[in-house]
Amino acid sequence: MASISEMYDVGWEEMRDKLRKWREDNCRNSEQIVDVGEELISEHASKLGDDIWIIYEQVMIAALDCSRDDLALTCLQELRKQFPDSHRVKRLSGMRLEALERYDEANKHYDAILQDDPTNTAARKRKISILKAQGKSTEAIRELNEYLEQFVGDQEAWHELSELYINEHDYGKAAFCLEELMMTNPHNHLYCEQYAEVKYTQGGLENLELSRKYFAQALRLNNRNMRALFGLYMSASHIAASPKVSAKVKKDNVKYAAWAATQINRAYKVKLSIWTATKSSLLHLFSKMD
Amino acid sequence: MGEVELSCRAYIKMFLHSCLFPRCSINGLLLSSSPAGGAVCVTDCVPMLHSHLPLAPITQLALTQVDVWCSQTQQRIVGYYQANACVSDSSPTQCALKIADKIAEQFDNAVLLMLDGGKMSPDYRVPPIVMYERKDSRWMLKDKHTIMLRQWEETRAIASQMLESGDHMLLVDFDSHLDDITKDWTNQKLNTKIAELASPANGNI
Repeated sequence: MASISEMYDVGWEEMRDKLRKWREDNCRNSEQIVDVGEELISEHASKLGDDIWIIYEQVMIAALDCSRDDLALTCLQELRKQFPDSHRVKRLSGMRLEALERYDEANKHYDAILQDDPTNTAARKRKISILKAQGKSTEAIRELNEYLEQFVGDQEAWHELSELYINEHDYGKAAFCLEELMMTNPHNHLYCEQYAEVKYTQGGLENLELSRKYFAQALRLNNRNMRALFGLYMSASHIAASPKVSAKVKKDNVKYAAWAATQINRAYKVKLSIWTATKSSLLHLFSKMD
Repeated sequence: MGEVELSCRAYIKMFLHSCLFPRCSINGLLLSSSPAGGAVCVTDCVPMLHSHLPLAPITQLALTQVDVWCSQTQQRIVGYYQANACVSDSSPTQCALKIADKIAEQFDNAVLLMLDGGKMSPDYRVPPIVMYERKDSRWMLKDKHTIMLRQWEETRAIASQMLESGDHMLLVDFDSHLDDITKDWTNQKLNTKIAELASPANGNI
């Protein structure tokens, strides 16, 4: 099979830079990381300098994600040799045990780290991940809540908690987590849009109005967010159709829905001159939802 | 209750959907182009979501759009499929039951299909699916002998082959469509590829 450098006509520097970009963007494209990283390590290790250690770590985690224990072990062994007492490497050992579903042993690794350093957030989060992998959602939620009491600024943890609550259909608490995220990330259209979806799911007039407001906010932050556009259309339509609203509220929401419908049609027209199925189904969509 | 036939195309698209998002729970709708009455023939499927399955707006949107597309193409929604992120648990979640209930309101013999992630490795020879049907307002496990997959060996071989060649990357679910509306959630390209690989005996039921 051709190598990556042959297939894509890239040199080792480009491969190294690509890996760095994926690290910075926190991408989980593990298959690609394994392909590029494995070749980089086996053919160009000597050229990478000190970068090689962080690359070993990145490739190891990606290898675990792809069930490549052989590659993961190779990377881990190099890291163990170089950093024999490191907590960071110990955590990687733990992750490998998790991938092999040896959860009790993995937990022992993390407990040992926490004995030594009770503030080690990485180890605590791995323990919570184990609970999640074992399907112990209630415990995972409890532990994550305790963690967030101490580490209140951990965005990743708040988002993870919102996902856990959504899966448990605890929409009120999921909304709370997303509110925290929106407060600290006011320009993130995705949090607004997810919050709006949760409110819509909760239902009831008040929640629908909130959902419409936050779909609109998401659009203000990113006017190409299709979910927000559809969400605005649907929430405004439902409010307008409710017997409990005043004539003015009804009129306003009919306007919002009509605006959203125009934007949706425009978006599809521009992108899909060849696909007529969606266009006509959209027309039907609007008439069905009125 | 009655027999259910699962076509090559429907199975392969469900399989590729779960392979495309191995770390997520995924779901989708099962369609039939056969006339109602007699066995339920699942001839196609529409992959729906790979994130936030329990949330309402996008599910409602997808159901409406697929419904409309079906009425234009002489198909109907006859069921729902889901694969859980947690491989050790292939039982239907609350949201699976909810959506399946909704489909059953419109179609009496609706089926709920769970993909069993634990049985999807190459060494498993049996279809990694668990089917439920509605009896007395509850979803009950369906008798395995009433579920038919014609030409299973060939279907399984095609699925593996397509996965090896990376064809799962071509699959578009409704979630992906909303990220980029030029992507086709009816997956015509994939349908063509599957048809090319399947023998005439494994064609549409």
